[in-house]
Amino acid sequence: MKVLLIIPAYNEAENIEKTVKDVTTNTDYDYVVINDCSKDNTKEICEKNKFNMLSLPVNFGLTSAIQVGMKYAYQNNYDIAIQFDGDGQHQAKYLKQLVKEIEKNNADVVIGSRFVTEKKPKSMRMFGSNLLSFAIFLVTGKKIKDPTSGMRAYNKKAIEAFVKNASLTPEPDTIVYMLKKKMKIKEVQVKMKEREFGESYLKPIKAMEYMINMFFSIIFIRAITRKN
Amino acid sequence: MTITLRIILIICSLISFLLCVTKIKQAKLKVSNSVMWMIGSILLILMSIFSHVVEWISVKLGFMAPVNFVFLIMIGFLLVQVFIDNIRLSELNEKIKDLSHYIAIKEHNEK
Repeated sequence: MKVLLIIPAYNEAENIEKTVKDVTTNTDYDYVVINDCSKDNTKEICEKNKFNMLSLPVNFGLTSAIQVGMKYAYQNNYDIAIQFDGDGQHQAKYLKQLVKEIEKNNADVVIGSRFVTEKKPKSMRMFGSNLLSFAIFLVTGKKIKDPTSGMRAYNKKAIEAFVKNASLTPEPDTIVYMLKKKMKIKEVQVKMKEREFGESYLKPIKAMEYMINMFFSIIFIRAITRKN
Repeated sequence: MTITLRIILIICSLISFLLCVTKIKQAKLKVSNSVMWMIGSILLILMSIFSHVVEWISVKLGFMAPVNFVFLIMIGFLLVQVFIDNIRLSELNEKIKDLSHYIAIKEHNEK
């Protein structure tokens, strides 16, 4: 199966080289770096190293970066697309398990989850994560242990859904949408590192806004998704 | 409604109506976008000319003063306008995003 890694990068000059090296040395999958109009020299670094890169002319955020990656995967006929953070938090050695889950067990979406076998630590972040899990359970009756994980693999059906429906985001509410559409979602245990350099897409101030958006989306919008 | 309020309403709505028309002529406003504003200003003129009708309705609906009823209609009208604007804004956002995706993929393919 043709596998594409979508690596969104916004101001990841310090991390991107290492991330791509990790991917190319530990896997033989194709990858595409999505430079979301970074203000630093992420683009130059990618060009210098001849990384496969899509460079967006205006900054539109993570959702847009993943969406353009999905379009790329769709146009180039990839069977599996995996979103993989460019900030060095994700490790490429776990990717094979995600792909295997799609190939062997026919899953539509596989989440690289931090908490399948491991327990959630108690912190503000994890409290938010629990709330989202609860909201998803409330609406779909399914338990997703790590809804905010940024490491997700999508099969062809899910890629097509992303391309056809512009309202889909790489966020927890899309999981609800896909569950409602009767897609099979699996979780696979992975480990993630703390980010080494730079700032996350999700700054603490934005976390509150993020939670409110997700809650409204899950409970009022995605909950009434029709099956077909 | 007092006569002063009626005069002010008429003048304001006339001005907004004329503004709409001139902006369309200068091609700064699309016809479809201006229709709502024109309807709004015509509504205002009608309400100030036939103020006894407004008074009758507002009494029937139990408003303290007819002017409150006029304000309610104006606020409702504005809310609808803002909502429509919001939809347009989202649409535009989506279009710009699609364009930027198109540019990125095209640039990539040309390399």
